[in-house]
Amino acid sequence: MITAGVDIGSTTTKAVILDDGKVRARTVLPSGNLPGETAKRALAEVLASAGLKESDLAMVAATGYGRRLVDLGGIVMTEIKACAAGALAATATATAGAGAASGLERVHTVIDVGGQDTKVIALDDAGDIEDFSMNDKCAAGTGRFLEMLAHKLELPYEEFVAEASKSDTMIQMNATCAVFAESEVVGLLARNVSKADIAAAAHNAIASRIASMTRRVGSRGSYCFVGGGARNRALVRAVEEALNKPVHTPEDPQTVIALGAAVGARRKLERAAEKDGGEGTP
Amino acid sequence: MKNTPPRPLRPSAPSALESSQFDPRYRLEPPKVDDPGARKRARFVAEQQKQLMVTIPHRPANIGWFQDLVDRGAAEGSGPLVGYFCNMIPVELIFALGGRPVRIDCGNPALVAAGEEALSGEICPLAKSSFALAMDPEGLPNRCDALVMPASCDAKRKLGEVLADYRPVFTFNLPPEQDAGRYGAAAAAEVERLGDWLAGTLGRKLTTGALVEAIELTRRRAALVRELQAARAAEPAALSVRDFFLVVQASFTGVALEKWLAEAGKVLAGVRAFKSARKRLRPRLVLTGAPIVWPNFKPLNLIEECGADVIADTVCTGAQSCFDPVVYDEKGRAALMRALAARYVFASPCPCFVSQGTRISRVLDLVGEFKADGVLNYGLRLCQLFDMEAYRLSRVLKARKVPFANLRTDYSLEDTEQLRVRLEAFLETLDGG
Repeated sequence: MITAGVDIGSTTTKAVILDDGKVRARTVLPSGNLPGETAKRALAEVLASAGLKESDLAMVAATGYGRRLVDLGGIVMTEIKACAAGALAATATATAGAGAASGLERVHTVIDVGGQDTKVIALDDAGDIEDFSMNDKCAAGTGRFLEMLAHKLELPYEEFVAEASKSDTMIQMNATCAVFAESEVVGLLARNVSKADIAAAAHNAIASRIASMTRRVGSRGSYCFVGGGARNRALVRAVEEALNKPVHTPEDPQTVIALGAAVGARRKLERAAEKDGGEGTP
Repeated sequence: MKNTPPRPLRPSAPSALESSQFDPRYRLEPPKVDDPGARKRARFVAEQQKQLMVTIPHRPANIGWFQDLVDRGAAEGSGPLVGYFCNMIPVELIFALGGRPVRIDCGNPALVAAGEEALSGEICPLAKSSFALAMDPEGLPNRCDALVMPASCDAKRKLGEVLADYRPVFTFNLPPEQDAGRYGAAAAAEVERLGDWLAGTLGRKLTTGALVEAIELTRRRAALVRELQAARAAEPAALSVRDFFLVVQASFTGVALEKWLAEAGKVLAGVRAFKSARKRLRPRLVLTGAPIVWPNFKPLNLIEECGADVIADTVCTGAQSCFDPVVYDEKGRAALMRALAARYVFASPCPCFVSQGTRISRVLDLVGEFKADGVLNYGLRLCQLFDMEAYRLSRVLKARKVPFANLRTDYSLEDTEQLRVRLEAFLETLDGG
């Protein structure tokens, strides 16, 4: 069975093709100003790179903040549900069997840092969502916050991350308002604080917000970090320090939510089939 | 009511000013802001909410009658208007004095900014917008002959003195604990004091006969709201929770309750006669938390748009507001005062008391009685009382395996999409993932 998941985020749109539990293709596009159009394009591209036609898809699921801005002809689910399913699917091999080679336990806590959202999801032993927490009033503590500060430091994002990894600074920065944080950066630069230290302070500020959000949800078990934010190695390290726990980052963390949507689509079909099988087709 | 025309007050009754609880030396010239722009925005917000509700499937035929009342605020009619806040003021005293009680908690998002200009930004939107109404010379509070508010939170405790610059105000003091053994007599005495103050301020006499009649009247409202609530729980498709709140809140507008009872009776008949075309599979939620006042129906819009039903509530502007009838043992003045205190103070699920047991028990009762799938708490940003209570409420429900979600927001619409994700995700978990 082939299903697709499309995650229409605030910054990027991700699409994944899932073929019998294996990822056949994935794509990431900037969302742009017309996320609905981008979503259709992402689906077309990922189908093309998998060598498939739209009619080959048993089901497509849309998720992310733009999930209702476009009709892809399939189902819609929240990114919370997709994220939980995606994190479990993405870590399934690593955690398979007792004492798996990686030593990773079953994931119970999923951290997702996206462009304008940060979410923490607690899973129960069955992998169902037990509780979750997300920022809702403001976008401080998200990916966009770091992008803005990189811009303020006049560093390309990759370099900003690399600089942050070089420093062990204890400088404190606020991460509650991006605008104030920018003026704080100006003040630090004026005091001759190095860009590396400022970049590290920004990462630490966000990591400590993420860590307190994680503790609020009542985290346990092993941790999985997904979303575009998980591609930032300095941020992953800062979160590990703030939590005082190792945090697992799956391969290609940015597309995990799209993967989860594809998994959700498959499950929905399987459940429907079970129901029909059980009750007989009308 | 068949009480005799009100007689002038007894000579010994203190005038409103003399009996004021507020230090007269520091009275201020009250700021009045004649801001047609704010008024226009406020009307626009209400109009938008009305438009949104037009799309509700199956509305009562006479819903327009309730909508008009809520729109126009205090309707025409005779007798002095008495504005009051919260669900803890014994309105029977006002009815018994021939007055018309009007609830003046404000739910208009467009007025929050106006209130912020004079007060501070760090105060709850309900207090800020309510104050903005008072600053408006055409606002409802300025059409009232007297205002009454309970000292039920810090904002309201202080808002009384602020509003006393505009109109005569009585701040109704509450005991810190809902322990009737310890505080029962004091609470009954406070009800009596409010009665005396109202009688003095309105220049009328409070008789026990009129009070008993008023209690009978509000008991009929309580009975009707209970029946509506039960009928909705049995068939949520018969009446949207938004229309239900509208019907309930229309009874707070100073309308003659007899008229309201007649119209609400028609709504009840319609709800009972309704036969749904299909089985209702939407999740059934118990709604608890902060007041939801027209036109800020944002949490109710979200719940219904996301495909869930509110089948019961503990919201002081919803079913809860009229749920408890006043029960008296005898018709003596002291017994009636005790009965009012029992209803308005000791049965209240308001988070202003030392223990939140009353509300938690109520929520658990409703979950069991109406077979709810989950509980949704509406936390009003900057209301610390409800915020603090979310801690225990969430854990108690979790321990009893009752799914729980907290929607914490204010009157503004900017976080609607984030809240929608939160709510949809909660509903997905109810659906079994």
